[in-house]
Amino acid sequence: MSNQRFRVALVGCGQIADAHLQQIRRIPRAETVAVCDLEPLLARQAAERFNVPAQFTDLDQLLRESAPDVLHITTPVHTHAPLACAALRAGVHVYVEKPFAVDITEARRIVETAQDCDRLVCLGHDQLLDPAWRECTRLVKSGIIGDVQHVESHLGYPLQGPFGRQVMADRNHWVRRLPGGLFQNTISHPLYRITEFLSDASPAIHAQWFARQPNHEIPTELRLNLQGQAVTGTLTFTSNSRPYRRVTRILGTEGSIEVDLDTQLCRVDRGERFPGAFAKLEAPLRDFRNSLRNFGRNALRFWRGDFHYFDGMRDLFQSFYTAIENGDESPIPYDEALRVTALMDAVFAECRNNDFRTSLTADVDDGQVVLNLIRETGELVAGACRESLTPVGRPS
Amino acid sequence: MSTRQLALLTGATGFLGRRVLRELVNQDWSIRCAVRPSSDTDALAAFFGDQWQSVKSRIRFATGDLTNTDFCRDITDGVDCVLHAAAALGGSASSLVLNTVVPTRTLLTAAADQKVHRVVLVSSLGVYGPQKLPRGSVLDESCPLDEAPAQRDAYTYSKTLQEEVARSISEERDLPLVVVRPGVIYGDERGVLSHRIGLPLGPLLLRMGGGQQIPFTYVDNCAAAIVKAGIAEDVDGQIINVVDDELPTGRDVLRRYRRSGRKVRTIAVPHWSLGCLARFNEWYSRKFEDQIPAVLTRHRVNAMWRPLKYSNERARRLLNWTPTVSLDEAFQRTLSNPSPSTAQ
Repeated sequence: MSNQRFRVALVGCGQIADAHLQQIRRIPRAETVAVCDLEPLLARQAAERFNVPAQFTDLDQLLRESAPDVLHITTPVHTHAPLACAALRAGVHVYVEKPFAVDITEARRIVETAQDCDRLVCLGHDQLLDPAWRECTRLVKSGIIGDVQHVESHLGYPLQGPFGRQVMADRNHWVRRLPGGLFQNTISHPLYRITEFLSDASPAIHAQWFARQPNHEIPTELRLNLQGQAVTGTLTFTSNSRPYRRVTRILGTEGSIEVDLDTQLCRVDRGERFPGAFAKLEAPLRDFRNSLRNFGRNALRFWRGDFHYFDGMRDLFQSFYTAIENGDESPIPYDEALRVTALMDAVFAECRNNDFRTSLTADVDDGQVVLNLIRETGELVAGACRESLTPVGRPS
Repeated sequence: MSTRQLALLTGATGFLGRRVLRELVNQDWSIRCAVRPSSDTDALAAFFGDQWQSVKSRIRFATGDLTNTDFCRDITDGVDCVLHAAAALGGSASSLVLNTVVPTRTLLTAAADQKVHRVVLVSSLGVYGPQKLPRGSVLDESCPLDEAPAQRDAYTYSKTLQEEVARSISEERDLPLVVVRPGVIYGDERGVLSHRIGLPLGPLLLRMGGGQQIPFTYVDNCAAAIVKAGIAEDVDGQIINVVDDELPTGRDVLRRYRRSGRKVRTIAVPHWSLGCLARFNEWYSRKFEDQIPAVLTRHRVNAMWRPLKYSNERARRLLNWTPTVSLDEAFQRTLSNPSPSTAQ
């Protein structure tokens, strides 16, 4: 394959497919040979806008007629496992957009099929290759902040954005039917930024989701605490705070690093060296130095034309194609893909368990008020409160 | 279509749809409105004010999804005329196709099944490809469609595809179709600063040219034309552009905007420089792989900001339509309310 271009096909021509098709176009040794979607108009728009020579509404037909080397799966998550397994059995390597699968069982099925068929699967944890994140991990590995103790991962998600608006407007949207709802489709990225440093297979989890606005029919906020043996982590998913950013703060024994993937800033904080009042002058000076360094780096990157929202995605595609060529392992190790999927399952189970986004109803039973707490799931928390009915202000 | 019977209106809760609904009410149509579960029907109550209770009693709301075949069959049953004004205005190309083109296909297929007498499709003047028209010439219904709408923007692409799908169903299924192509629709909820006047860059507005006519149509005038397209005789198969009589230049619009007390910081981009800037933007975008996307391309410049004149002669003749709200009155209404400043 070394002298030929990689023949790439894509199934699922929704919004994220645009990003894939754009990034594949930036890789000289790859070409998109076909796109596929159940909805012919969606397949057509992708083919027309990205000059893809073939379009299909049936994946089997695509695999037969276009004979791709790699299939990118950008469909809703509940279809990932069947599509990935079909492609792997047809002898095609598969790149799966995050999240990997609906649950760990389906995720394992994909990995086992890949191993059985001697094909590679790559999960779209592309922000691990984002330039700012790579700079951050380089600094951590250099030991500048000592041993990592805690990771705070933040995702600001605009519900009024193109995808969020669809999810909120459509009661039958597929995202709403996922076990983890809106979060299943979104928290992979902030979660694997924690698991990069938190290596426990089953950390202690405390998680809660809730709706911030009364008119939100589904939970739109999530708070997660993870406690591993050596490292802890917190994940904040917020849809109600500006600016909407993807920020991670890594706290170590010697200092901390804050990385913002949206502005591509990486700030190191190693504390003050001067005492008392002098420290109040040192801190802004240090911020100024950090800012100068970031400005210089970003100015240079701008000059080089090096700012692209999906740089990490392109680099992950390249790494994946290289792994296929060289017969290496997938750039996102299977263990890691499975661990993150299992962790998400556990987080959502915990959220459901803690979901007291309830309706409170009151019955009068034999002179007592019985307050019934009903969870979102419809589960009745019986006997939540039982109080004697005490007449107040009733005329005698 | 001379007798007023049952009309199905889609997009009734939208900026244009509300005015179309009012026009239908005023003209004594029986009305069925297809609305999505998420549509804000309370906004209609606010729009109609005191009249709402009496208006409401004359409307049947059908709540559902226009991509659902059964729903579309139900709502088109017994309908004489479909006024299809629902469309997505923003988002990615795929979501625009999913929310504009796919529903159009389902709805018009159902309308053909149910032998609806006429469908009026609200399209856009943006579907034209006037790149080869001589400067200063008149853009009318004879102008060819844009050959590369995907190179313009996602909205233009979706409207072009929507028209193509509608025409194809109309021809295959013998469904009477009238395509109305409004220019830039403006009004008090949408403002006047359209991309035809300038492109926003952070807090600034890059004023593109300034001397070219803006193909404006005030929302009430446009709504009246759409309803007339549902009534008029012998218009099946026609394409009808809708723009107002008095069309201001971009510079005029900004002058009126500022005179109303509003502020906008603009950077003038002279028309003669647009070609060079477009070449540079294309080159830069190609060289640096879309670090700055090719927003300003020669294809787009020659379509959006080309100095042209616009005609509403066919709308006047076939629909017996006259814009009743003058430019002065329309601007006075639009700019007297504290509202968004952009128009599509």
